[in-house]
Amino acid sequence: MNSLYTYLFLAALLFSLGIFGVFQRRSLIGMLIAIELMLTGASINFMAFNRFLAPDPIVGQIYTLFIMGIAAAEAAIALSIIVAVFRRLRSINIERAQELRG
Amino acid sequence: MNSVQSLIQPQVLAQIGFAGVVALTLTGALIAVFPRNILYNVLGLIVCLTGVAGIFVYLGSPFIAMMELLIYVGAICISIIFAIMLSRPLHLSLPKRRLPKVGLSLGVGTAVFIMLSAIISRTEWQPAAIRSSDWSVTTLGTYLLTRYDLVFETISLVLLVAIIGAIIISGYARRSTS
Amino acid sequence: MTSSWFQDPTLLAAMLGALLPFVSFVLIMVFTRPYPKLSATISVAAVSVSLICALSLLGRHWHLEQPIQYTARWMVSGKLYVPFGFMLDQLSLLMLTIVAGISFLVQVYSLGYMAGDPGFARYYAFQSLFAWAMMTMSIAPTMLQFYIFWELVGLASYFLIGFYYEKFSASEAGKKAFVMTRLGDIAFFLGLLLVLLNFGNLNILDMNSVDVTARMSPAMITLSAILIFGGVAGKSAQFPLLTWLPDAMEGPTPVSALLHSATMVAAGVYMFARIFPFFSKSPTAMTLFLAIGTITMLLASTMAMVTRDIKQVWAFSTISQLGFMVMGLAAGSYFAGIFHLTTHAGFKALLFLCSGVFIHEYETNDFFEIGQHGGRGLKVPIVCITLAAAALSGLPPLSGFFSKEAIMGGLAELPNPIWLWAGLLGAFLTAYYSFRLIFAILFPKKIEEVHHGEHGGHGHGEDHHHAGLYWVMAWPLIILAAVTLVLGFFQAPLENFLVGHHGGAEGHGGGHHAWLLYVAVGLALSGVGLAWLEFGRKGASQVGFVERLEPVKTLFAERWYIDHFYRLFLDYVIYGIFSNLFTRNDRQVIDGGIDGLCRATVGGGRVLSFLQSGMLQYNLMVMFAVLALVALYFFF
Repeated sequence: MNSLYTYLFLAALLFSLGIFGVFQRRSLIGMLIAIELMLTGASINFMAFNRFLAPDPIVGQIYTLFIMGIAAAEAAIALSIIVAVFRRLRSINIERAQELRG
Repeated sequence: MNSVQSLIQPQVLAQIGFAGVVALTLTGALIAVFPRNILYNVLGLIVCLTGVAGIFVYLGSPFIAMMELLIYVGAICISIIFAIMLSRPLHLSLPKRRLPKVGLSLGVGTAVFIMLSAIISRTEWQPAAIRSSDWSVTTLGTYLLTRYDLVFETISLVLLVAIIGAIIISGYARRSTS
Repeated sequence: MTSSWFQDPTLLAAMLGALLPFVSFVLIMVFTRPYPKLSATISVAAVSVSLICALSLLGRHWHLEQPIQYTARWMVSGKLYVPFGFMLDQLSLLMLTIVAGISFLVQVYSLGYMAGDPGFARYYAFQSLFAWAMMTMSIAPTMLQFYIFWELVGLASYFLIGFYYEKFSASEAGKKAFVMTRLGDIAFFLGLLLVLLNFGNLNILDMNSVDVTARMSPAMITLSAILIFGGVAGKSAQFPLLTWLPDAMEGPTPVSALLHSATMVAAGVYMFARIFPFFSKSPTAMTLFLAIGTITMLLASTMAMVTRDIKQVWAFSTISQLGFMVMGLAAGSYFAGIFHLTTHAGFKALLFLCSGVFIHEYETNDFFEIGQHGGRGLKVPIVCITLAAAALSGLPPLSGFFSKEAIMGGLAELPNPIWLWAGLLGAFLTAYYSFRLIFAILFPKKIEEVHHGEHGGHGHGEDHHHAGLYWVMAWPLIILAAVTLVLGFFQAPLENFLVGHHGGAEGHGGGHHAWLLYVAVGLALSGVGLAWLEFGRKGASQVGFVERLEPVKTLFAERWYIDHFYRLFLDYVIYGIFSNLFTRNDRQVIDGGIDGLCRATVGGGRVLSFLQSGMLQYNLMVMFAVLALVALYFFF
């Protein structure tokens, strides 16, 4: 049970749930949460490879840390964008943000 | 394997603990995605990320697990909650779901999952021939400041830029609307 | 090369003569336009040097054996070698002298005629431009260079016809002349291209050599000759492109004298003579040219019989004389054509310059009015114009007599007598209309005595005022009259000069047709007599026999409806059919096509923009679905 495949499938499941969330949620914050899920799935993947396959078990951890940093940055930017969008549209519904519609 | 055994004595307990952590992660993920109330989602995300931190422990990196809890749960989720508080009163009507959209998303999500599982199961995962067994935080720190210092610096820079960008975007938006 | 310029006086003279007017044109246009006197001085000085150069060249090479050619490479394209330079042979030397001489006289005359005109400097600039183009054209060694300067001459003519550009009719006339000659020039150019393609060379000497027949089929020679003759027809106002010349009289009278009688329109005939051996290789084409010359001559003579405008009469007579030259050349008598060109240049310039004096004095173009205002009071012009008209009519012993006789002799050589009779008829008509004008001025029906006296006094006052100007205008007249008087006697030397020692043949022909001499002179005299009966004698009706027949008169006065035909052709065929067609093509096919393209693009954009719903999630969904499918496709 505690094998590479378990982790990989778990990561894939989290990633897919994240994708589903990104597609389905209307609120921008909900989408942000789903994106965090996807990033988490990716970092689980890295940790699993690091644990089972990599020659040097430090690299995966560094990557995970990197992803966390990216996630933090992404969250900061995304939240500020959300705040800006809310100010502009009085809503954080993604379906209202259609100004570039053709 | 050795380190895990050294942490938790009985094999079964480890298995149960692992199953529990996985269940925690999945439950948290489901809660993070499905309910329409945004606050539940954030709480689900917190649960999920806590579970992931547990998984990291099982994967032999208590340090990363700690970081996960600190950064994700402690920083990101809290900032999301702040954003929620800034954006939308909760008593207003929740956005309605449209079935076709949910169905489509479900279909595409499933397709992505099938693709990923197919890739996972089709690939023959080969462990590296020579594997080091040095997992210590000391080595991690040394590596971060020597061999991977570029990564370290880049993260710092990205974070800096992100913070400045966030300030500018929200500030600019305020100026442009007022 | 640079040193040989100065060592070779021939080349130096040719270059000086040909280029100085251009220098003067540039100087006047760029620097001295605000100073009319200075501009005129520059121009006259340049043209005098040209005249001196031309005369010295003529004297130096009087016994020329071989044509002298100076060429420099202009451009090389594949096997085509295009030189640029000068070719001096008898014909070009003669033409150079004529052009330089008439240009000089006309420019001197214009000092008086154009005095006080606001466009005085501009006038001299164009005169210089014309002199440069015409002289360089005369000594061109290749047909390409010839063509280029031919067009430049046309351009100068356009400028000078439309000199009074504020006048609508003048600018219209300039346009008409330009467009109509352009029609002929297109044919000319096509003909040159044909020669170039088939013969590979446009050198005039080569085209005239026997070599052409070896390299081009007779049909091709005929075709290209006819096409090149299109240029002659345009420039020399031959049928069917003859109607531009009368309108070209809108320009100042000295311009008419220089360009539209003596030199420029003679360029067509000159070109005919220039490649005469080439043309004569195609008998079919020659017959056609003969017919065209004859038709032109008769048409123009009839038109001249009814007009009341003094310049128009000379314009029509120019056309008819040009037709006469073409007839002479086409009949095969090379020398006769050129001789007539030479004499005609002299007496026709004289006619125009004299008319210019009358017009300048009485400010009317109607010669009946000139007569009534006392035109015969101006002694020098009236004597000169009578002399010139007599020369035009072919009365002995004036120059026109000799050259006309030469052409008649050539015509008489032809097997078909119809050409000769046509020529004789033309001579009769010429004498009639010339003296109709002369008698109308000399013996007006009623001289308005009071008016005349008053006007005479006024004129006298003007004479005092403009005495200098009058004599500036009179001197060229006297010189030209002298030339007209004596030129005829130089027939033999000229013939020797031009065609070597074949001069005997012409005299021989003349001897054969001794009766012709008497017939021609008799017809000319009877023409004069008819004119006397109707216009000259006391109590004459001053109404020509043609004018009694109303329909004929209308026909002649309307110039045989050629212009109407062109107008109708333009209106119905060009504007009605082609323009309409092209407009429609432009509007509907081209514009429509582009509009359709635009509309298709815009519409396509509209249709495709439905895909850009602004729904981020759907876009993402499609992206991931495609990604998943592609990955699945590659893995399974």
